[in-house]
Amino acid sequence: MEPVIQVEHLEKKFRVKTGLFEEKQYVRAVNDVSFSIEKGKTLGIVGESGCGKSTLGRTILKIYEPDGGRIFYQGTDITQYNMSQMHPLRQKMQMIFQDPYASLNPRYTVGETICEPMIIYNMYTKAERMEIVQQLMETVGLKPDHIRRYPHEFSGGQRQRIGIARTLALNPEFIVCDEPFSALDVSIQAQIINLLERIQDEKQISYIVVAHDLNAVRHISHDIGVMYLGHLVETGPADEIYERPLHPYTQALISSIPVADPGAQGMMNRKILQGEVPSPIHVPSGCPFHTRCRYCTEECRTRKPELADVGGRKVACHLAGRL
Amino acid sequence: MLRPEEYFEPLDPAEKNEEYIAMESKSFARDTWERFCANKRAVAGLILLAVIAVIAFAGPLLSPYPYDGMDTSIANQGPSLAHWFGTDKMGRDEFTRVLYGARISLMIGFVATAANMVIGIIYGGIAGYVGGVADNIMVRVMDVVQSIPAMIYMILIMLMLGSNVYSVMIGICVNGWINMARIVRGEVRTLKEREFATAAFVLGASRKRILFKYLMVNAVGPIIVTATLMVPQAIFNEAFLSFIGIGISAPQASLGTLAQDAKMMISKYPMLMVYPVLVICLVIFALNFVGEGLEEALNPKGRD
Repeated sequence: MEPVIQVEHLEKKFRVKTGLFEEKQYVRAVNDVSFSIEKGKTLGIVGESGCGKSTLGRTILKIYEPDGGRIFYQGTDITQYNMSQMHPLRQKMQMIFQDPYASLNPRYTVGETICEPMIIYNMYTKAERMEIVQQLMETVGLKPDHIRRYPHEFSGGQRQRIGIARTLALNPEFIVCDEPFSALDVSIQAQIINLLERIQDEKQISYIVVAHDLNAVRHISHDIGVMYLGHLVETGPADEIYERPLHPYTQALISSIPVADPGAQGMMNRKILQGEVPSPIHVPSGCPFHTRCRYCTEECRTRKPELADVGGRKVACHLAGRL
Repeated sequence: MLRPEEYFEPLDPAEKNEEYIAMESKSFARDTWERFCANKRAVAGLILLAVIAVIAFAGPLLSPYPYDGMDTSIANQGPSLAHWFGTDKMGRDEFTRVLYGARISLMIGFVATAANMVIGIIYGGIAGYVGGVADNIMVRVMDVVQSIPAMIYMILIMLMLGSNVYSVMIGICVNGWINMARIVRGEVRTLKEREFATAAFVLGASRKRILFKYLMVNAVGPIIVTATLMVPQAIFNEAFLSFIGIGISAPQASLGTLAQDAKMMISKYPMLMVYPVLVICLVIFALNFVGEGLEEALNPKGRD
């Protein structure tokens, strides 16, 4: 089956402000990332803050222009599409934002907010729109009689649901969820996760879920991609990655998940990383993780490992399978 | 000792109503209006301004005397029942002339401000939203225009176009819009980085739609406040121009012209100076109070 989204060697860098005569410097936020997502599936992207996961999501939606590599939407190369070429596609490629407080226009009522995408694409008549807004509000669990209220009158979870309803108004096929849970407390997180899963079952939407909450991501994702310093270091089915991580960085990341029982085995074998994440302006040569890797060899310092198949998933490590 | 579960009484699940919103629903405009009304000085200013405006616009129509009707037989009279503020050296009714002058002054203040607002919003909005090189150039243009004092523009334009209401307005507009443009540019630059602007972009909204429906509407507060404070500035500038004798000229009258007329005979008939100056003061006070009140009412940090 043709993937909904396919990304090949995607690159995004940001210029760092330097003096007039200094050498130009770039933050390499996304570096040579490749993956694909099939219809109705979820890819979870995990990694530390600043590893480029949000940038990856935003570059795929062309909020940022990619600096290299290619993006395919249902087999069409959209990498070089300009704003007007992207316009019809935006209907199908949507985004759910991290901060439900900031992502809604404070001057729009809930009804206007959910209606907005339909107005932009000139969909339906006015009466039909109102009906759809009501339906969407029920779908996401909002009371339809709140239609005239303003975003500041709602709680965080309610606002996140308003954002989701707005996104669904366009019937998208692919949604980038940029840290959709991180601004919500735990009980509300569960609500939103269930809502996203229910919508996926009903409409066969594909998701990219960017998050740093490893448990939530495991719950919602079919596949997981682990990012470190802009590189995708491991990708594969969610359960396999959590049960048996192959890349040393993934191992450290998975072992950092808090365990309810402090005496459990996991606590004892916790792998604590030494040192800091290197600056994304000066990405280390060879394997980007070699400065903090306990298994680091001479090869790791000099040669960059490519994503390679290891037991049904892809790992970018020279030692993969041998650890 | 109480056990933790005894601190709380469990709620009957049927009574649970998480979606309920207790706060009364208020639109932005109504919320602002209510907070504005809570400020006594601002309300007093608004009422005073409204009263002056109504009298100034309706008064000359009701007054039995035309503003330029001369009758030298009754020149330089003091206040009487027939002439409430007395008459000037040409025998014109001073009360009618003050009302007429207030009308011209208010009109110049509001029309010039409206023009400044439109130019400033469009220029500042585009500079702030487009950013980059275009923004840089547009800011430099503003710097250059503003580097010459406003008075010089006004005087030059009065000399070129003659002394009338329109050239005063144009003179005020030549660099009056810059203040507004700077405020709008700053607001738009901050707002466009907010996530709801990105959300609108992802939804496929056009640039124009994002600029006006997402960025401008959220900058309404500072725009209104700046505009309200621009009105007294314009009125003052007009009065000053007329007072030094290059603004509006007789027989037309603005408050500045009246003050200038009174200047010559200030030692004999000081009251002729008092009336127009008093009205200028009242108008500027009222506008400043209204502006201050709006600033407080529109400031989201003041919300309780």
